[in-house]
Amino acid sequence: MAGEPMAVVNYIPLIIFLIMGAIVPIAALAAIKIIAPNKPKRQKLSIYEGGLKPIRDAKIQYSVQYYLFAIVFVIFDVEVLFLYPWIYVYANKAMQQFMIYGFMNYAVFEMLLFIVVLLVGLIYAIKKEALRWV
Amino acid sequence: MDGIIEIITQFAADEPAVFALIIGIIGAAVISGVVNVGAMLVIWGERKVLSDFCNRYGPNRVGGRWGILQLGADAIKLFTKEDIIPGDADKAVYVWAPIVASMATMLVAVAIPFGALHINGKDYPLVVANMDISALYVEAALSLMAIAVFMAGYSSNNKYSILGAFRGIARMIAYEVPMGVCVISVAVMAHSLNLVEIVESQTVWYVFAQPLGFVIFVIALITDLGRIPFDQSEAEEEIISGYNTEYSGIRWGLLYFQEYNNALLGSILLSLLFLGGWHGPIIPIPILDIISPLIWLFMKVVIVLWFFIWVRSSLFRLRIDQVTNFGWKWMLPLSLLNLGWAVLIGSYFA
Repeated sequence: MAGEPMAVVNYIPLIIFLIMGAIVPIAALAAIKIIAPNKPKRQKLSIYEGGLKPIRDAKIQYSVQYYLFAIVFVIFDVEVLFLYPWIYVYANKAMQQFMIYGFMNYAVFEMLLFIVVLLVGLIYAIKKEALRWV
Repeated sequence: MDGIIEIITQFAADEPAVFALIIGIIGAAVISGVVNVGAMLVIWGERKVLSDFCNRYGPNRVGGRWGILQLGADAIKLFTKEDIIPGDADKAVYVWAPIVASMATMLVAVAIPFGALHINGKDYPLVVANMDISALYVEAALSLMAIAVFMAGYSSNNKYSILGAFRGIARMIAYEVPMGVCVISVAVMAHSLNLVEIVESQTVWYVFAQPLGFVIFVIALITDLGRIPFDQSEAEEEIISGYNTEYSGIRWGLLYFQEYNNALLGSILLSLLFLGGWHGPIIPIPILDIISPLIWLFMKVVIVLWFFIWVRSSLFRLRIDQVTNFGWKWMLPLSLLNLGWAVLIGSYFA
């Protein structure tokens, strides 16, 4: 079980690590500015496309089916996000006193209900072919 | 020894902000060194082991028989290559993609315990930011790499890169949910989301307590790391090199290097969650008994990495529609089944 709520100061290392993570590649990129040769030519700077001149812009519009994946993902990711705080409810000693029908923890029962509802949604999405790659 | 520990804990209690700052600076220097050198050794080890699988020598020229300095030679080559940014590329995003990748790996490294020191019968975990939610945090930070991949692919303005970037995102979102549910199943048994507490609670390794969860987590982890059965975002035979087609020189080197950094950190995470972390019999030799938890974790990580290379050399690449189908239609329901199993075992038999 978690003890005290975590103080903000414990997140200071995150910022330092973030800066450290930026310094290393920036130093490498600064180094190649000095030591690497740089003689740009038009052919050298062109996009690779099987050796020919690139045809049209590459920023294509992707199939709308692709965005259905994103929507289903958002739904299930939110489900997982709800499960994370649920662990602490489940692990709470006081919560384990509440039993349903004498055998099931109340927290477990509620989460079971939640998962079943979402599973119905998943089956619906699969049946409607929302999760078919085209 | 006791005195030093007492002074440190006292100082941490009195001046938490200063302590966090000092730990952060020391940790950033040490861990970025350890992780980067470790990733270099992983690349070298992968080339060596893969060549063993293929019955050939692998690197054996630079630095003696084992070719241990091959990566130094490769680094010199990458640094002295001409720096080419494609004319049509989105310059700012193109330049920032490797930097974001590196920042993402460091964000993973900050919360992962790299082992423990065994002093006077107690384990002191070596972790920079010991958060209550570190399992959730590490999993979230591991998937930040997908954003760097998308930045690299989208900014290159190359059709192959764009395909790779879109595939990378679709693959990541299909396996993110099962992976999260597996972490939750572990946390249900450990009654905590703190990685240190998860390791401490493993009197029985979770690989034995929930074998199904272990299998799902390994598959999802390989997907997250983009290694071979699931490397559709850079499938060489179909889309040249995927998201990093337009990258060359050290810019490509940085992206490639971060993949191996992530592989190293991911295998540490796998050992911590399912393989008992630094648990193992204490070696009864002075000095060695202090670092024996580190030795056990190191051995587990090496075995996991070897397993990843074995998988890479044995399996073929799957098609992207097969991958997303498998993720949504099998992995997700099975991971929920595993969650039910974990709750059942955790509630009634623990």
